[in-house]
Amino acid sequence: MVPRPLVQFLPWIATGALMALAWAGWKLRLAWEGLRAAQRAARLERALREFGDQMRDADRPEAHAHELLQALSGLAGLPAAALLRPACGEPDIVLGEPDANALAGLQLCADKCRALGPGTDYHAGEPDLYLPLRGRDTALGAVTLLGLGTATLAPDFLAHAQALCDQMGLALQHRRVQEEARRAGELAETQSTRNAMLASIAHDYRTPLATIMGSASALQTQGERLTHAQRQELAGRILDETARLVRLTDNTLQLARLGAPGVALSSDWESAEEIVGAALRRVRRRPDGQRVKARIEPQLPLLWCDAALMSQLLDNLVDNALKYSPAEAPVELVVRRVGGQALFAVRDRGAGIAPAWRRRVFDAFQRGDLAAFSQRPVGSGVGLAVCRAIAQAHSGSLSLRPRGHGGCSFEFRLPLRAAPELPVAAP
Amino acid sequence: MKLLLVEDDRELRVTLREALTVEGYEVLAAASLADAMAQLTHAGHLDAVLLDLGLPDGDGEELLQALRRERSTPLIVISARQVEGQKIRLLDAGADDYLVKPFGIGELLARLRVALRHRGTVAQPAVTQYRRAGLEVDLQAHRVRRDGADVRLTPTEFKLLARLVRQAGQVVTHRRLLADVWGADATEQTHYLRLYMGQLRAKLEADPGEPCVLLTEPGVGYRIAEPG
Repeated sequence: MVPRPLVQFLPWIATGALMALAWAGWKLRLAWEGLRAAQRAARLERALREFGDQMRDADRPEAHAHELLQALSGLAGLPAAALLRPACGEPDIVLGEPDANALAGLQLCADKCRALGPGTDYHAGEPDLYLPLRGRDTALGAVTLLGLGTATLAPDFLAHAQALCDQMGLALQHRRVQEEARRAGELAETQSTRNAMLASIAHDYRTPLATIMGSASALQTQGERLTHAQRQELAGRILDETARLVRLTDNTLQLARLGAPGVALSSDWESAEEIVGAALRRVRRRPDGQRVKARIEPQLPLLWCDAALMSQLLDNLVDNALKYSPAEAPVELVVRRVGGQALFAVRDRGAGIAPAWRRRVFDAFQRGDLAAFSQRPVGSGVGLAVCRAIAQAHSGSLSLRPRGHGGCSFEFRLPLRAAPELPVAAP
Repeated sequence: MKLLLVEDDRELRVTLREALTVEGYEVLAAASLADAMAQLTHAGHLDAVLLDLGLPDGDGEELLQALRRERSTPLIVISARQVEGQKIRLLDAGADDYLVKPFGIGELLARLRVALRHRGTVAQPAVTQYRRAGLEVDLQAHRVRRDGADVRLTPTEFKLLARLVRQAGQVVTHRRLLADVWGADATEQTHYLRLYMGQLRAKLEADPGEPCVLLTEPGVGYRIAEPG
């Protein structure tokens, strides 16, 4: 028999048990919800971290904008759109399909650098939510979740969405700053190159001009008192120096022309023998021109090149070789085939060029730095620079090789192309 | 000898005019194309025209055509580097020769002398014989000799040589050579010229690697050296 008092307490026990159960259930639910919230927070955090990493490594953050839109879209199950302002003074980029109203909202949001729409304290009555892509001090665009209506985004989702947007904003700003720095650097470089170039050209002009001025004024004021031979010599000097100025001017103009974008060469099928033959004929007119000896490999294929530019290149190299080598030393002009290239080498027996200068000698307008060198390097001004520009315009290369027993070999390599067919019938 | 000098730069015009006058030429001067066209109609007979390219009012092709319509007055083009294309166009269209600025008076006089020698000779070339540096060419007799010995040329080689000889001392552009030797549809085949000029040089030059008769004008054409 059940003791009475126990029966008497049964309702109490049942009630207690029920209460305990309810309490346990409540506790369990709390724990479950806590777990879920923690999981959700962890998921959001991971997503944010991953997106942040992606943004930091991105060369072009704007290229990842669609991933941002996807993430935001996923949060609310709604379509998203974005407006990006990656660079100053460049047009905005629009992604997604915002209507005119949404576009105006994106503009406003980006201009004010402030979230607006449902759940915010700014234009809360709007149907769409707008979030700015915040950089350090300005917004670099905005995104919108379209059609949120009266619903609001959960506070942690809203915070997460804004955090994603800020990652994008910061990355865009970083890019913008880098870009501006690069442009400023380029501008400064262009300007300093231009200044160095002008200084160098002016310097190069001054010496021949002084000779011309001196000789011409002597002819003018002392003409009667000079012998015929003296007058001839003065006139000859004027002609020589004028020729120097002509060459300098041609080189400078050519360098400017080849430096411009999209320069077109007048290329044709040319014979190395002819180009060299014509160059020899020009150099033989110089008093020291007999020093040049040419060797051309027989049976060279025709070359696809601009004959006038090739002539200018050879003239400059030969002129340098004659200028910077002793009066009795031979200057060689060698043309031969090396693999798929034609090699034009101009070789002298001069003092050679110090290793530190072997690359820089091709750079125009570097004369400002020469003070530290006791020996004045070759390539005064523009000659070699224009040669290199000509080589590059032909997809070829120009290099300097020191020679075994002293002197330099300047070597121009021109890629060979398949030669055209020759007339079949004509004998 | 009456010349028309078309040059817009005053200093150069005055300098050239004086130099040419000293040489005994009568020089009419014009500073623009319009001016030159007017002189052309009123000046009567002219022996040669010196035309500077890069005039403010046109590229001179008009003047060349007007000149060629009635008479075969020689025209020498004076060009600067930056009008290379225009120079070649005019040479292709029948201008006789060119000078690149800046040039010496000696060079100008030489070009003028050659041009005047060829005057009025389109139908019947004045020059059918050529002699220089041991080379003798007789176009009528179809004979080529070097150092007194006959040289055998292929028909194409001879045609090419003859074309150059008919304008001895003057440049002949690639296009004109190709059109006259190979025909109007071969004007782009510059590589034919390279081959045949190489062959001609091998047969006719003392040192084919350094020609002194069959000269190359890079990017323009060929010139057989002035006889003598």
